Amino acid sequence: MTVHIDEAETGVVQFQRRRTFWEVMTSEKYFKWTLAIPLLLVLAIFMFYPMFYCLYHSFQESLIAQPSFFIGWENYRAALHDPLLWNALGNTFHILVMCIAAELVIGMAIALLFNREFRGQNSMRGLILLPLLVSPLAMSLTWSLLLQLDAGLVNQILVAIGIPKVHWFSKDFGIYSVALITIWQWFPFSVFVLLAGLKSLPRDTFEAAKVDGASSWYTFRRLTLPMLLPLMMIIILLRVMWLIRLYDPIYGTMKYTTEAETLDLFINRIAFSYFDIGLGSTLALLSLFITIIISAILFRYLMKALGAIK
Amino acid sequence: MRLRVFFWLAVAIILAVVIFPILWIYLASFKTHADIYALGVMKVFVFSPTLANYEELFTGTTFFLEIRNTAIIAVASTALVMVVSLPAAYGFARWNTGGGMLLFTTISTRMFPPAVAAIPFFFAFKALGLLDTHIGLTLLYLYFNMSFATFLLFGFFREIPRELEDAAMVDGYGRFVIFRKIIFPLVGPGAAITAVFCLVWAWNEFFFASIFTRITARVISPALPIWVGAGKINWGPMMAAVGLSILPTLVAAWFMQRYIVRGLTFGAVKG
Repeated sequence: MTVHIDEAETGVVQFQRRRTFWEVMTSEKYFKWTLAIPLLLVLAIFMFYPMFYCLYHSFQESLIAQPSFFIGWENYRAALHDPLLWNALGNTFHILVMCIAAELVIGMAIALLFNREFRGQNSMRGLILLPLLVSPLAMSLTWSLLLQLDAGLVNQILVAIGIPKVHWFSKDFGIYSVALITIWQWFPFSVFVLLAGLKSLPRDTFEAAKVDGASSWYTFRRLTLPMLLPLMMIIILLRVMWLIRLYDPIYGTMKYTTEAETLDLFINRIAFSYFDIGLGSTLALLSLFITIIISAILFRYLMKALGAIK
Repeated sequence: MRLRVFFWLAVAIILAVVIFPILWIYLASFKTHADIYALGVMKVFVFSPTLANYEELFTGTTFFLEIRNTAIIAVASTALVMVVSLPAAYGFARWNTGGGMLLFTTISTRMFPPAVAAIPFFFAFKALGLLDTHIGLTLLYLYFNMSFATFLLFGFFREIPRELEDAAMVDGYGRFVIFRKIIFPLVGPGAAITAVFCLVWAWNEFFFASIFTRITARVISPALPIWVGAGKINWGPMMAAVGLSILPTLVAAWFMQRYIVRGLTFGAVKG
């Protein structure tokens, strides 16, 4: 804002001190944008630049150390006709469904079990939460030792109780093992989200149901489950968000098996092993398209849970 | 009575399933190659411990360099994330900057396929000489953690009553002073929780680390699978490296237990 002239109204020339840059930035009108400047910078550099780069290269035949040239929709056609893409998508979806279903069921069972006061509950909570923050790569390396064919502890126990050995990391069984490792690492998450939900349920409703003689199964099905539904929705969406990017556990256990690839492993192989930048960019954009839809749904749920929107 | 027995039995099984794989790391790190491959369930606990694995890890590899690199990059990126996310989250919580669209854009970057950023930045960093440098990976982790931190902090800022600011406004304080002197101290604990999450995720991150660092700036996660060779896996030193590298995150998980659920749900569930 420069010199403010209000001659017409007052007939006097009013000079206002020229506001300093700092004053403008912290004024009521602009302060919110001042606060967002670093964020906008980061977004511009780390989000919009890569997106445009990928968009541009998805229409190019672009291999490393060769001049790239325009090929239209050829990359998209090649990507969608690649059986390995569908294999990777199928694996991702498969693992996603298995993990989320198992985590919800196990989580609900353990949450119901823990929904009481008992001695040592705080240390129990601490111990069970431990896997959540541990590096998935480190844990998958550990599991690949535990699930070894001959000397692995799990197979040794199986043999000891008379069950035949399992080829944990074979082509066909691999994704189940990966799902198992992931479930092991993440079930505490569902347990404690659902436990937080159980602890906040209205007590009198349940007492009323008891007085009316409702069975505990009926109460669970008609009261507990519907009331926990929003939380289960949040668990599902967050887990989808993490699982769709599943990379470390597969890399740690069976990185050379294309049959067990997930979406990100496939993209990264194309982009960083074959250095096919055009196809890699195309695949990355296709994957982006899927995730933006999911994140839009997730965003609404999170905002609702935070009370930011009705 | 039978119910109590059943309850404690169930608790014991759950605990065993959770703790045993972690315990196994440390057990295996003190075993010789032959003991790791020994058959028989009893051999799990009965073995003659050896420090050879740690010796091989410390003398034969650049383990300490990698741990140091990881610490430097994790701390630097977390500091940068705070510089970006604290003001932005405050703006979102108070004025809904950008009408929800900007916040959504921010959070959606958390779900972006890493390849979308990795492909362009690999070549950009190559041109700028940032490959295999601390700065390069720090910048990538800024991008990686920023969206999460902004959203989590957004939840913490929303809990601070607006009246506090209005009162300060009446007293004639400027917007910046209010942020620095009133809001910032109140959001301190929340910011600390957010920072620990950023540190842990930077510590654990593997994909960007494996592509953008090679030797001088190599962090710990890409250094773990190097023991997996063709046909033979050197389990002992690998478990020693795994065990040492996850120690800080185990400690963080223990002390953060009240906030883990809140953090992992982006603030939506207060565990």
